[in-house]
Amino acid sequence: MSVDTEETHQRLKAAVHYTVGRLCQKIGEDHRRPFSRQAIAAIAETTFRQCDIFAKDLEAFARHAKRSTVSVDDVKLVARRSTALSIHIQNKSDELTQEHMSLKKKTTAKRKNTETEEESRE
Amino acid sequence: HSPTLCALFCTQDTVSKLLSSFFKEDKTKLSGDATLLMVEMLKVFVQEAAVRSQKQAESEDCDQVDIEHFEKILPQLVCGSTGSRNVFV
Repeated sequence: MSVDTEETHQRLKAAVHYTVGRLCQKIGEDHRRPFSRQAIAAIAETTFRQCDIFAKDLEAFARHAKRSTVSVDDVKLVARRSTALSIHIQNKSDELTQEHMSLKKKTTAKRKNTETEEESRE
Repeated sequence: HSPTLCALFCTQDTVSKLLSSFFKEDKTKLSGDATLLMVEMLKVFVQEAAVRSQKQAESEDCDQVDIEHFEKILPQLVCGSTGSRNVFV
């Protein structure tokens, strides 16, 4: 079991490193100042470690609320220390809520249309 | 609100697997929306790290961002005193 986790972590670390690298490349271009490979590796490593911290916090919050599924509320708690981040996460959360609502409307409309079609066929 | 950056935080799947790998208990799961928000949070984290490192390099008149620049801004990024300069716990 621990071997699996190690492999998984290696692969995920690589994925994080790749993504961080691309992001740094873009920001480097925007500022006309490239990042050294070491800097990118350090940012990637820190991000990876930060995920561990986030995950443990998220799990603790969920468990505190007697849930086994981490929810949006748990994420908002993790973001609470920074006002800017909280606002950012709140906005994103509102976006998601709106998307869910509009998706619901579409599905309901679709279902009604399909029902009418089936009726006319009979 | 760049779409490139959104695509960059790879897939929801990777973030989900990544966070899940750190949970202590097998039964702990992430809701879909929680995962999406975490993708966002990680994106902000990396952006902040990168931009602050840039500013540090700029203040030192360097033409490349080196690991030292990142290390200097790291304490404010990750922990430390509360306040507007602090980004994360």
